[in-house]
Amino acid sequence: MTSGWSLIWENADRFAAGALLTVELTVLTMILAIPGGLVLAFLRLSRWRVVRFAATAFVELFRSTPLILQIYWVYYILPVFTEIRLPGLAVALTGLVCNISSYNSETFRAGIVSIRRGQWNAGLALGMTNAQVMLRIVLPQAAMRVLPALASTWVSLFKDTALVSVIHVNDLAYVALKIRTETFVILPVLNAMALFYWLMGYPQAKLVDWIHRRYKVAE
Amino acid sequence: MSSTGRVGADQPPILTFEDVTKRYGDLLALQGVSCQVNRGEVVCMIGPSGSGKSTLLRCANALETLEGGRITFDGADVHAAGGDARKVRQRMGMVFQNFELFPHLTVLRNVTIGPTTVLGLDRAAADARARALLAKVGLSDKAGQHPAALSGGQQQRVAIARALAMEPALMLFDEPTSALDPETIGEVLSVMKALADEGMTMVVVTHEMDFAKRVADWVVVFDQGRVIEQGPPRQIFEAATVQRTREFLSHLGWHGESIAEVAAGE
Repeated sequence: MTSGWSLIWENADRFAAGALLTVELTVLTMILAIPGGLVLAFLRLSRWRVVRFAATAFVELFRSTPLILQIYWVYYILPVFTEIRLPGLAVALTGLVCNISSYNSETFRAGIVSIRRGQWNAGLALGMTNAQVMLRIVLPQAAMRVLPALASTWVSLFKDTALVSVIHVNDLAYVALKIRTETFVILPVLNAMALFYWLMGYPQAKLVDWIHRRYKVAE
Repeated sequence: MSSTGRVGADQPPILTFEDVTKRYGDLLALQGVSCQVNRGEVVCMIGPSGSGKSTLLRCANALETLEGGRITFDGADVHAAGGDARKVRQRMGMVFQNFELFPHLTVLRNVTIGPTTVLGLDRAAADARARALLAKVGLSDKAGQHPAALSGGQQQRVAIARALAMEPALMLFDEPTSALDPETIGEVLSVMKALADEGMTMVVVTHEMDFAKRVADWVVVFDQGRVIEQGPPRQIFEAATVQRTREFLSHLGWHGESIAEVAAGE
């Protein structure tokens, strides 16, 4: 019987691969969920009611149900209705992107509406189109304001990616839980999993704290 | 009311308001306002807060819609269906009470953003134009700063430069000194005075009576969404015919004499 820590050491490459996938999932999800959130935010600010309603329904669905359920949905239900069977990683990514886009859309929307009417008027008074005012005046300011909120979402996302282990995506959580099942070594494996998440998550949380301090709204 | 000798009376007016009505819910903000602005003229709009002056200004460049009446700029209906409000706004500079500089851009970029995005000027030409205007308002050394690093008076001078960068035919000033500390009001008024001396057509909503008296060619007095009196400053300030005008002026402590130091610059 190998001791706990030597077991971890023997499986270092698998843990490393899992950790890498966790980071990749987090980065890819955010890269897609930022434009996704922006599009949803624009749709929710649309002048057409039908568009607003559809976007709101989407956002509220994904904000008000558990992420683990959404991942199962994409995994089991999407193939039934669409005959699309995505590989596990794509399923995980789809679920995460829908979920995080919904959160991001609320963040962006709050940022956009927080820019006072006078800034719009100043841009329009120069002869700009609405799109130009949005792109050059409102969005850059809104982005600065919502950066802390986006950073917080990022850290939550990093930890929540562990949920994709339920559909056999080889992320850090899945690898750890699999090694546990293979070896029946429970505590050391869970401790190692906790340590690895913490080692990666703590610097991110600190960075977020710094972003919060650095980008406090100053008028 | 006589318009004999009014500045620019030999040409068609650049801006006209005909029976303009504006409503916010139950509040009738403008109740049939008519007046005009001639080319080369400085028109000051005065009156108590909430009397409709600022609303009229925002209607002039279609930042607000109308419930009734007509506003023409250079002969064309500003609010005409299918009309292009942007074309009108490009030729009307506007200066706001709260400056409304773009806080994420440097002073220089605040001034160039109009010409580059709206007029399609290239960066170099826009920069040259902006630097000349910043020199004109006395802020050449602030080009690389962000607005937050400037005083209120400096910010408002940048805002004036930003509006001038579009080379407008007409400048609208919406209470340009109301949000300023007393010690910086003068620097803004003197920039405006210099602009007036160059012959810029200006509409100025203001509570600075001394400025109105010394710089305006024409004064329009508002009360409760109506024009109650208009005429040359001498008539308004020294021989107002309407009781309400005299009440308003005396309420401000105006009794015909010069009030404060209006840094008119000369």
